[in-house]
Amino acid sequence: MTDQIREQVSALLDGELPRDEIGLLLRRLERDTELRRAFGSYALIGETLRAPGGRIASPSFAARVNSAIDGQGAESPVRDEQAAANLPSNVVFWKRPTVRTALAASAAAAAVLLFRPESATQPTLAVATNATPNYSMAASPTPAQSQRLASYMVAHSQYSTPIVRRNVLTGLLAADPGLTRVSYEVGGAP
Amino acid sequence: MRRAAFGAAALLFAFAVNAAEGPQEDARSWLERMSESLATLNYDGLFTHSTAGQTDSMRIVHRVDEKGRSTERLVSLDGSGREVVRTLEEVHAYLPDRQVVLVEPRGDDGSLLKALPTPGPTLDKYYVLSASKGNKLLGRDVIVIDVRPRDRYRYGYRLWLDEDTAMPLRSVVGDESGRPIEQILFTRLELKDKIPARDIEPVVDAAGFQWVRTGRKLAAMPQVPANGWRPVRVPPGFRLVASRLQVLPGSPMPAQHLIFSDGIAAISVFIEPGPPTGPRPPEASAMGSANAYSTSVHGHVVTAVGEVPAMTVREIANSVVPVQHQGAAVEMPAANAP
Amino acid sequence: MKSRETGDNDADQPSEGVEQSDLELVRRAQRNERGAFDLLVLKYQHKVIKLVARLLRDPAEAEDVAQEAFVKAYRALGSFRGDSAFYTWLYRIAVNTARNAIASRQRRPLEYEADLSESEQSNLASRLRDTDTPEANALSEEIRVTVNEAIGQLPEDLRTAIVLREVEGLSYEEIAAAMDCPVGTVRSRIFRAREAIDRALKPLLD
Repeated sequence: MTDQIREQVSALLDGELPRDEIGLLLRRLERDTELRRAFGSYALIGETLRAPGGRIASPSFAARVNSAIDGQGAESPVRDEQAAANLPSNVVFWKRPTVRTALAASAAAAAVLLFRPESATQPTLAVATNATPNYSMAASPTPAQSQRLASYMVAHSQYSTPIVRRNVLTGLLAADPGLTRVSYEVGGAP
Repeated sequence: MRRAAFGAAALLFAFAVNAAEGPQEDARSWLERMSESLATLNYDGLFTHSTAGQTDSMRIVHRVDEKGRSTERLVSLDGSGREVVRTLEEVHAYLPDRQVVLVEPRGDDGSLLKALPTPGPTLDKYYVLSASKGNKLLGRDVIVIDVRPRDRYRYGYRLWLDEDTAMPLRSVVGDESGRPIEQILFTRLELKDKIPARDIEPVVDAAGFQWVRTGRKLAAMPQVPANGWRPVRVPPGFRLVASRLQVLPGSPMPAQHLIFSDGIAAISVFIEPGPPTGPRPPEASAMGSANAYSTSVHGHVVTAVGEVPAMTVREIANSVVPVQHQGAAVEMPAANAP
Repeated sequence: MKSRETGDNDADQPSEGVEQSDLELVRRAQRNERGAFDLLVLKYQHKVIKLVARLLRDPAEAEDVAQEAFVKAYRALGSFRGDSAFYTWLYRIAVNTARNAIASRQRRPLEYEADLSESEQSNLASRLRDTDTPEANALSEEIRVTVNEAIGQLPEDLRTAIVLREVEGLSYEEIAAAMDCPVGTVRSRIFRAREAIDRALKPLLD
């Protein structure tokens, strides 16, 4: 039975698999690393026959491409879990701890976009946006400013949609919160 | 020698590859399932919250009681001791570094699904939603939902949902240029049948903290004039979904609080009487991926905050005027001379 | 419209089936099926790396530049319309990526010119092949030797089938006609040939 599937993989490489069988085979391929390895091996065999010598891809190349597409950065060990360890659990999703390094801090992360920006729709509102706001040097927020902003955020957080509410509240909790920048428009142009 | 460099793995991936799910569940229904799970399940998890240059570890505990009412606690694990607790009636934000607890009445009736603008049919005008199979997270099969903005007024999101429960295991916010600016990633998530009530209690020692009530139930409020404020132009796709009064400490009059939403993002606009000392210069600020912009209009302070790009909050704040001025020639509020 | 594949080898034209199959994978990739794109990477990774290695002064960068090319291709998938074969499109992206990499390092490329015509490209390829040095890839050499040995040991019908497919680029139908057997038999022979060679290769790559 497995031979039959591997034969399908061989046919897929040659473009000889009936189109309606492709979908199912792709799903199989996604779950089966050995099957994927076989596909890659068959491709390598063909390459070697056609153009022997010269460079070939290292075995982890395809994984690196995948990784680059995902924009995943290097992983570093997590800090200690401080979870209460004694609670009984019903379902636990857990794996060896990893922590993403800070986003957009590395050039690699910055280069990978979450999505391609649309050609910017010219905002119809725009008066103020076309003028670059005139900011003086960013000042540190006063405690009163931080607190005011925090109150706005808390009030606002109740009206965020579920997709974003978590982010708004965690932003409030993040270690260096309140205001991350305060800028003053000096004679800015509406 | 070259062989050694390649290591143990042969021609295979380190990650599972992706293939689209059938058309059975589209992105929108995944999002609805997600909202429902977030509101109705009991869970306790650890996650990291990352923005440029900074990653924080946090814990969230979400509890639903036998009457279906939810409470929640969010705590920073990095030593700042900050916590947010949503009790049945209120939201308490404990800020030990300021020795302050901000208190706000809960706007909803305990069921988090209500009072939220549900994505309407116009959502497609402003976002492109898509769903696809993702790499495994925490050993779970995931569906990746992309919420991609069609213009630069809003952010984009990518959510990795557990296929079984629709719980978000990872989420990334992208700015208007598509750059990732914020990430939440669970390192551990427990779904439980029950969560003890004590897990929702804050652990921070709030003795000596100043309790600042940032809001008050309306019943206790004096009459306020039915004066209205409206933005004369709203960024495309945003519509007014709620309007209420927000009491701010130290102000005799409550602030008007307008909430706009495009179905995914929400913007709050607060209008409050300006300080007697005269108009303040406009300010832009940010907290995480949320932006805020504050400006002066006719002796009032208008502040817009929301999880949208800075441009968007600035534009909406700049276009707010008192209602009785509508119909007259609307001038853009001038920026104040220093 | 079938276009001539400008690959390493003049005989390396994609058969109609391969083109269609690639197009199907591309369509799926455009619909966010990452598995489909991953297969395209697996299929063309060696070709792209070979190509890029020849264009760069420093072949050690070939994998990085090739990776960049694939990522670019992934992001640009929306603009691929099927007017050309997928590999032709990928080839151009790889060439451009290599050119940009060279430009950013401000070096003159080794006998490279933008927008080579097809014949120039294949000439260039064959010229460069002659200057390709054995130091380039010792593992690749081992693989070549292993594959050749394994092919030599195959039963004649399996060997013929796979050579007609991979080297001559014939479709299953064409091979069936050439070998006077059913298409299903061709498919099975090619598969078994691959399996036998794969078995020989596996210890090399594990």
